[in-house]
Amino acid sequence: MDQAHRNQAGDLRVLHHPVLGDLPESRPVQITVDGQPLLAREGEAIAAALLAHGILVCRTMPGGREPRGVFCALGRCADCLMTVDGEPNVRACLIPVREGQVVWTQAGLGRWEGRAG
Amino acid sequence: MKTTGIAVIGAGPAGIAAALAASEAGAAVTLIDENSTVGGQLRWRIAALRGLGDGLDGLPACQAVERLEERLAAADVSVLTNAVAWGLFEDGSLAVATPGGGFLLQAEKIVVATGSVDLALPFPGWTLPGVLTARAAQILLHLHRVLPGRRVAVVGEGLDAAELVTDLETAGAEVVLRASDPAQVVVSGDGRVEWVTANGERREADAVVIALGRQPDPELALQAQVDLGYSARLGCHLPLRSALLETSRPGLYVAGEAAGAADLAESFAEGRLAGLAAAGASPERIAATQEALARARSPERSVEVDRLRLGTSDRAQVEADTSSPWRSWGRAATAEGRDNSLARVALCRCEQVTIGEVRQAIEEGALTINDIKRRTRAGMGLCQGIFCTGAMALLLHAERGIPLSEIVPMTERPPARPIPLVSLVEIEE
Repeated sequence: MDQAHRNQAGDLRVLHHPVLGDLPESRPVQITVDGQPLLAREGEAIAAALLAHGILVCRTMPGGREPRGVFCALGRCADCLMTVDGEPNVRACLIPVREGQVVWTQAGLGRWEGRAG
Repeated sequence: MKTTGIAVIGAGPAGIAAALAASEAGAAVTLIDENSTVGGQLRWRIAALRGLGDGLDGLPACQAVERLEERLAAADVSVLTNAVAWGLFEDGSLAVATPGGGFLLQAEKIVVATGSVDLALPFPGWTLPGVLTARAAQILLHLHRVLPGRRVAVVGEGLDAAELVTDLETAGAEVVLRASDPAQVVVSGDGRVEWVTANGERREADAVVIALGRQPDPELALQAQVDLGYSARLGCHLPLRSALLETSRPGLYVAGEAAGAADLAESFAEGRLAGLAAAGASPERIAATQEALARARSPERSVEVDRLRLGTSDRAQVEADTSSPWRSWGRAATAEGRDNSLARVALCRCEQVTIGEVRQAIEEGALTINDIKRRTRAGMGLCQGIFCTGAMALLLHAERGIPLSEIVPMTERPPARPIPLVSLVEIEE
């Protein structure tokens, strides 16, 4: 893979594609992942923004610390559950990024934070 | 309770074709999809379309979606996206969950066009972050424009695997290893994919894609307990259907990959036929559509469809032509005592039940997938068994000699997807 496919170190975005053309301009969306700021593309799923920056782990399993990441990207496997804006068990492969969104790697079954569950 | 003429579940190629055809024939149609946009697999595949007709051939699949959306709008189809049809009840009502709350929908006819899910079989390391299905890879590459990894190993050897290798290389990833047999693959790494071993070769990699093929996902039809028949080609059970694609439950149709369709052209043609039949179109139009469907099918698939429709099966053939990667996985997983290398691997990803634990349950008397589920919790997690029951059937077959054709799917009950409790509490009746 050549340098043209990378925006910056660690970025896995496909900037040029022979069939789909150049990656269209998009408004940058700032989110926070485990306390760190991360620039995403408007409209993309949370999990895609993470993967573009080389972040593979979405949660750890209950009863241990086995890490899991995107497996099916269809919303079926639920391996990519994360805690988003205080709500646990959000499927990161389906839910789009939003300006100011606060995302945490989820431990086990997760818990409600910041608002009544 | 809301009402509609025809409810179509799933807005992929079969569902869109069914909705358009039913609407053309004069029916009031509601098209329901859990995703935020219509198109299903058309959105994330880039291979040029062939055999669909309707002015779509030659376009990359993802570029056909816009045209189909325009036609849906012009046809006055009511399109509900972000809507999960999670239950089909005895009185024929459908339960639907949306971000705005839940409701029941009563339709005169229902077309299930919920497509398929990737096949997956367990191997050491298959739960590590960086291991993903072929569709997940296509969705990342083409919808999100993100590489799943720079150095990728591909497990599988069929058409899906070939398409995926092309997709990966076109997008700029390097395919570092290909393995045909999932039982021979070992993935390792510290919290993510780092190494892949197969066929005696060891490669550094940052992603592994499982591309073994697809399994039909007609979950709502299974909830309705329609009659099923075994497909030796796919190694699983399919809803039995009439020549007009109606199941044993009157007014319930299944079309496309949910019923075993082999490709986009067949799915599209099945959708058209189911839509016209459900809408009660004229015999001439239905006959012409049946002819088009026959042309879209491969000879092998035509034989299968006829055999299922007529209820005939040839046991020897059923057992002999079950696809080989599946059978060899079952043999490998049961080759030795429960201390073999696969025994400690999770069979059920969600509930973290190992292959060894499932073999123990079988040894203790489990004879069906339902038995294994009750004894071990395998299949009871968030994926509702879609990624583990295939492997369970292979273990039952390998350990007990039960023909795969006699191992029926586990009992499906609502909800078909994880849904928030609020969509039950605030349901509009």
